[in-house]
Amino acid sequence: MIEFVLNGEKVSWEGPDTERLLDVLREDFRLTGVKCGCKEGECGACSVIFDGELANSCLIPMAKADGAEIMTIEGLRELDCFRVLDRAFAEPAAVQCGFCTPGMVLAAYSLLKKNPHPDENEIRDGLSGNLCRCTGYRAIVEAVKLAAKEGGKW
Amino acid sequence: MVRPENLNDALKTLSRGGMTICAGGTDVMVYPPENARLLMVDRLPELKLIEDLGDAVRIGAAVTFTEGIESPIVPELMKAALRRIAAPAIRNMGTFGGNIGNGSAKADSVLIDFVLDAKLELASIRGTRTPDIDKFYLGRKKLDLAPDELIAAIFLPKPKGSWYYEKVGGREALAISRLSFAGVIDVRDGVITSLSAAFGAVADTVLRFKELEAMLTGKSLDEARAMKPDFIAAYDRAIVPIRGRVSETWRKEVCLNLLRDFLSQNGI
Repeated sequence: MIEFVLNGEKVSWEGPDTERLLDVLREDFRLTGVKCGCKEGECGACSVIFDGELANSCLIPMAKADGAEIMTIEGLRELDCFRVLDRAFAEPAAVQCGFCTPGMVLAAYSLLKKNPHPDENEIRDGLSGNLCRCTGYRAIVEAVKLAAKEGGKW
Repeated sequence: MVRPENLNDALKTLSRGGMTICAGGTDVMVYPPENARLLMVDRLPELKLIEDLGDAVRIGAAVTFTEGIESPIVPELMKAALRRIAAPAIRNMGTFGGNIGNGSAKADSVLIDFVLDAKLELASIRGTRTPDIDKFYLGRKKLDLAPDELIAAIFLPKPKGSWYYEKVGGREALAISRLSFAGVIDVRDGVITSLSAAFGAVADTVLRFKELEAMLTGKSLDEARAMKPDFIAAYDRAIVPIRGRVSETWRKEVCLNLLRDFLSQNGI
């Protein structure tokens, strides 16, 4: 039996050691804000916060999830700082099709938590593992700047 | 799944066989072995330490790349390579031990292990041994690692003098090295006291040619400048790139260009 904390709640799960956290979150816990893009850590659509750090849930075997604290976009939505990110992404239209957005928002949150006042290079590095095929990134970088300017309890 | 509390328990479990070692998961999970039983070493306290040993740093195998970047004692040369690995989410999970255990000549931290003459600490219930990194790599994905042995730590000497690092990838982030190069040179009173140069992603293992490096050790900068064409020509003969996604000609040319640049940035 694998036990972990998911969005603040203790949960348990049983299955193969190498089952992807991504699939378990989507199929078993119905947290569909976690997206599947590539299953090889190249796109960031499946980003989660794993023990306080940004991680690709497609590359986390369930054996590793045992004892961990995991937050998805559904968990972040409940935090006060989400409202800052929400407004900041809406303002410059940093969302188009939306598929990359949960991962982008989590990457932005993870960056701002470590570095509340990042410069443009640091923002681009913070988002470098998250691919967006619509926006061309400029609006997303702008969104993170806006969120940093407004500030929040990251 | 087995999640041992300490290294001893981990080694006992490993000695019984049938387990796949996993720390960050970023390599294992690209092609997850079906029905594999994972021996989780990601939180083993003995594998999470970074220690300053004076002339060297001991880095636990389960230390992540992010922890390496944030550590005040990991050498800047290693950090330069770590910052070019993939992207934050991968760097947060991927580990020093995993980068070595994967056996690839493209592993970005392994290039630095080679150029600095790192030693590995391999632990098993039979005891511990500390092979040199270049003896540990036997060939493509071939390692001198017994089934009951675990990579426990890396002994990384601190670079003496100045260093040079360059990674050539398809793009800035998330890129597997097409070629990587690291050089370290120590010049005292105008005389080269030591020089090392390592090439990644060129052949089955990271390449170093200690007999060629010796050509310039003990030479003055003037002498080294005079010898530069012969030195480059010797590397031209010694480097035999494997076929890959990029041509052998391109690889060879970039290797030599980076070697030239490393020397000229150091007055040679």
